[in-house]
Amino acid sequence: MRVTALEVSNFRNYAALRFEPASGVCVLVGQNAQGKSNLLEGLSLLSTGKSFRAAREVDLIKTGAPVARIAASVQTRTGEVQAACIITRAGEGARKKFLRNGRSVSYAQFLGGIAAVTFMPFDLQLIAGPPALRRRFLNIALSQANRQYYHQHATYLHVLMQKNAALKTPGPVNGALLQTYNEQLADAGAHIIAARAAYVRRLSQEAATVHARWVGAAEELSIAYQPSPDISDETPAAILKSLQAALSASSALEVMRKTSLMGPHRDELSFAVAGAVLARFGSQGQQRTAVLALKAAEYALLAQATGEPPLLLLDDVLSELDADRRRAFLGNLGHLEQAFITSVDRPELPSQTARVYQIAEGRIADAPLGAALSA
Amino acid sequence: MDYLAPPLSALIGELEKLPTIGPKTAARLAFYLLSASRADTAALSRAILDVKDKVRFCSRCYSLTEQDPCALCSDPKRDASVVCVVGEAKDVYAIERTMSYRGRYHVLGGLISPIEGVGVGQLKIKELIDRISAEGIAEIIVATNPNAEGESTALYLARLLTPSGVKVTRLAYGLPIGGDLDYADEVTVARALEGRRTL
Ligand SMILES: Nc1ncnc2c1ncn2[C@@H]1O[C@H](COP(=O)(O)OP(=O)(O)OP(=O)(O)O)[C@@H](O)[C@H]1O
Ligand SMILES: [Mg+2]
Ligand SMILES: [Zn+2]
Repeated sequence: MRVTALEVSNFRNYAALRFEPASGVCVLVGQNAQGKSNLLEGLSLLSTGKSFRAAREVDLIKTGAPVARIAASVQTRTGEVQAACIITRAGEGARKKFLRNGRSVSYAQFLGGIAAVTFMPFDLQLIAGPPALRRRFLNIALSQANRQYYHQHATYLHVLMQKNAALKTPGPVNGALLQTYNEQLADAGAHIIAARAAYVRRLSQEAATVHARWVGAAEELSIAYQPSPDISDETPAAILKSLQAALSASSALEVMRKTSLMGPHRDELSFAVAGAVLARFGSQGQQRTAVLALKAAEYALLAQATGEPPLLLLDDVLSELDADRRRAFLGNLGHLEQAFITSVDRPELPSQTARVYQIAEGRIADAPLGAALSA
Repeated sequence: MDYLAPPLSALIGELEKLPTIGPKTAARLAFYLLSASRADTAALSRAILDVKDKVRFCSRCYSLTEQDPCALCSDPKRDASVVCVVGEAKDVYAIERTMSYRGRYHVLGGLISPIEGVGVGQLKIKELIDRISAEGIAEIIVATNPNAEGESTALYLARLLTPSGVKVTRLAYGLPIGGDLDYADEVTVARALEGRRTL
């Protein structure tokens, strides 16, 4: 998959831009605050439909402008796809509209049309940071390849909000209503757990393989999925039964605490090297290598699911890594079609580098490759 | 708007309060009304007051009516043993337009949504239960919207009513007629598969 043209107007600090990136690795270099990350954010927005910075959506629109537009032509295995996102100021907030091949589509239909893996310094906290980060990782990875997953997850979160509101409503809780919500949560939740369990099993294998290539087989990396509730059998029917049972068993406690305590919104992922849990025992370096292996595995599984290499968006992350890890990570992506890498200081460039682009004040200029290499 | 005659700017102000009407449209409508005949404007203002004064909820099915009970509830040709439950009064007209339903209705006045402060007690659910025994209802067709709240409301009603022996059914999810299977989203197709039938 590769972007042949990106067109942006009134997006972040870009007034108007047409960019026809090369295939291979495109390196975006420039001083701080020039618009390097903004460009990756635009590309990622066309993939996931959301900003990768947990920002207010209205901030995506250039200050003073009424409407932002981001559009790309993407060459995929099955032909050329046009994707566009239009963000309009509406009151205090913003409204988003999605288009595919010129036709207006819903968010659910837009999602995953362009497959991308994003990697930024913040991701280095995936191992030891709060569990919500790891669930978010699973949701983004799975939603891109599986629209049913997206739908089940959106439904689950919506019903969960209703159930929590019902638990917090003053007065006695309506037992039949609580059972109704649990019935809906069990249905959607069982799909989520089944999809996560299958995904994490393959993710763990893939990550262990690349990890072993880098650090040797003795330090075996394993990723374990810990669903809420625990399941013994991964068939959909068995998962549904355990979830139903766990939900009704925790009902009394949930009424007392006035909040939901059971279900995949409390799922966890845990990483271990040679059996030792990384979040507790891993060194900084071990944790970093594990995140690299995780991202490389995410990339490989998305490529398998969609049948072609996804886009790779690396924001500032290479400068966070030492030379060995940098080389190991990039060496593993030999078959990538296109990647975008931002950097302030032109670090040692990956061997697949096709083109270096200079970004300054929301504009792009081609920089001669030779100049970048000798810098 | 000091330059406008006060009655005119008052009318523009009232029209602007209406949904989907912005200041430009409001001004256009106001100038149009000013140029219309006295009889037409009198008819419009009477019609507006009449919906406020004369339209009320049917005391049986809670749809909108002038006469109580409403025409649907008092029509002897309609099957009183089947009741279609909908969220809003406007949903009654969506089903009536199909001209393929001959039973009666029950309007809940919303869908269960604790987030918005709508609990079971705010809806006409107790009234529905009372009707089942009073009117000898045999089947309840739940026709709430196909979203999470519509689903919760339908499942809640099924949970509540099934033990009383009444048959509770739900509208099927299907593919849009005249559309291409190709273009339907995966979720719609998956739901339609679940609801498939033997030929
Ligand atoms: N809505 C907006 N309107 C105008 N300018 C904006 C808007 N949002 C962000 N900016 C500007 O964009 C710039 C930041 O761009 P970006 O985050 O892409 O920088 P960068 O090149 O990645 O820098 P760094 O190397 O520091 O990461 C800032 O100058 C910021 O003020
Ligand atoms: Mg940046
Ligand atoms: Zn009636």
